[in-house]
Amino acid sequence: MEFSHDRSGDTLVVTASGRVDGSNASDFLESLQGMFDPGDQRIILDLGGLEYISSAGLRVLLMAAQNLDRQSKSFSICSLTEAVGDVFRISGFDQIINVFPSVEAAKQG
Amino acid sequence: MDQTYKILVVDDEPDLEPLILQRMRRQIRANEYEFVFAQNGVEALEKLNADSTIDMVLSDINMPKMDGLTLLQQLPGVDPNLRAVIISAYGDMDNIRTAMNRGAFDFVTKPIDFDDLKITISRTLEHLAEWREALSSRDQLVALQNELSIASQLQQSILPKNPPVTDMYEVSANMEPARNVGGDFYDFFNLDEQVGLVVADVSDKGIPASMFMMSSRTALKGAAIGVGDPEKVLEEVNNQLHQDNPTFMFVTLIYAVFNPDSGSLTYSIAGHDPPMLVSADGTVTELPLTKGVALGIAPDIVYTQETVELAPGDTVVLFTDGVTEAMNANNEQFGLTRLADVFDGNSPESALAANEAVFECVRNFAGDAPQSDDITCLTLRRP
Repeated sequence: MEFSHDRSGDTLVVTASGRVDGSNASDFLESLQGMFDPGDQRIILDLGGLEYISSAGLRVLLMAAQNLDRQSKSFSICSLTEAVGDVFRISGFDQIINVFPSVEAAKQG
Repeated sequence: MDQTYKILVVDDEPDLEPLILQRMRRQIRANEYEFVFAQNGVEALEKLNADSTIDMVLSDINMPKMDGLTLLQQLPGVDPNLRAVIISAYGDMDNIRTAMNRGAFDFVTKPIDFDDLKITISRTLEHLAEWREALSSRDQLVALQNELSIASQLQQSILPKNPPVTDMYEVSANMEPARNVGGDFYDFFNLDEQVGLVVADVSDKGIPASMFMMSSRTALKGAAIGVGDPEKVLEEVNNQLHQDNPTFMFVTLIYAVFNPDSGSLTYSIAGHDPPMLVSADGTVTELPLTKGVALGIAPDIVYTQETVELAPGDTVVLFTDGVTEAMNANNEQFGLTRLADVFDGNSPESALAANEAVFECVRNFAGDAPQSDDITCLTLRRP
């Protein structure tokens, strides 16, 4: 799992790549939350480089989404590969978390 | 079993006491079980309050003074770790459902089949033993590894044994646990003339996940008994699980109801891979996905269902992602295509053969690569 982030104004774009499964899901959550600033109003998670996500990884995204929702902040994910997109579609998470085709689309959404 | 379990039997019919003592005499003589009896809920509570060594309650529903359903509500106040099994009239689905919702571990129907009762009692007690171990290890804050091994035993203890094999339908089910992670389970149960089938995957590991698994199983069985349509069952279970879910656990599952007379299978999916249909001629198709979301994460989700007619010789394969995501040494996944290839042009001769074929192919594919997730497969075949 590798991360980078890019902040412009109140929008934070986090790019994550690699694999998330039960063995690193809690690191994923910690890294993700460590990147949030109180001033960030909109968080976009770019998963274009993510090869695989297990249900433990989905749970981390759910926690992050609910946590940000409680603070009235927007959270979306984007640029899913076909395999990861299938996981979101089959699990129904695409109905719970906002999914966009690209970072640009997420910024406009 | 190296300890004697004390079981409180609550029933107002005087015939039951001698019958149980007679049918269970071997277990009683071997000091496996000890039975105490009460005539109604009030008397049962008195006995429970006076004797803290009672492990399990086996109770009828209709009784004078206090009925079995009211007794169930009182049990957690006496001892939250008591396990209860309800005896109910055959087909009395409303009461059975209420009982499951009030925390009954399982039920048996009248007239009592004593073989079935023995299996149900031993499964309940096996589960209770794992549960107590889980609680004591939690108290002692033991190492994670130990917690996981207890969690995996808890998981095993809720899996039903002896899947039904009749002239009308055959079921086979197997779960191969991963060493560290995983939360798969399966279930099958009779619903009047039909049979309910479940394959599920809980999102986390460890004892809290096992407890979530328990709630999922009980809520699903309770709803299945009362509600009927799979889509409505999932809607209800989803709301129940969501109500008390501070740690955002969730479970993906398929719930299917098979009608042996008509051959129709109706299923609804909560965030899970759809089943695979292997026709008698060896044609393999993925059944359509229904609308829905993994259970427990958001309230008031609408689920849909699909119905497929099984012709004689057709087999339906329900599985978890442990099958399709099993990896080999080159980090390749087993995948849906290889799963379909197991049966392509090669329709299985029985539900058991189908199940064994899946596990054999996954094992051969994975080779020495470590198993990273539970592998579960349930097969239903119409002979």
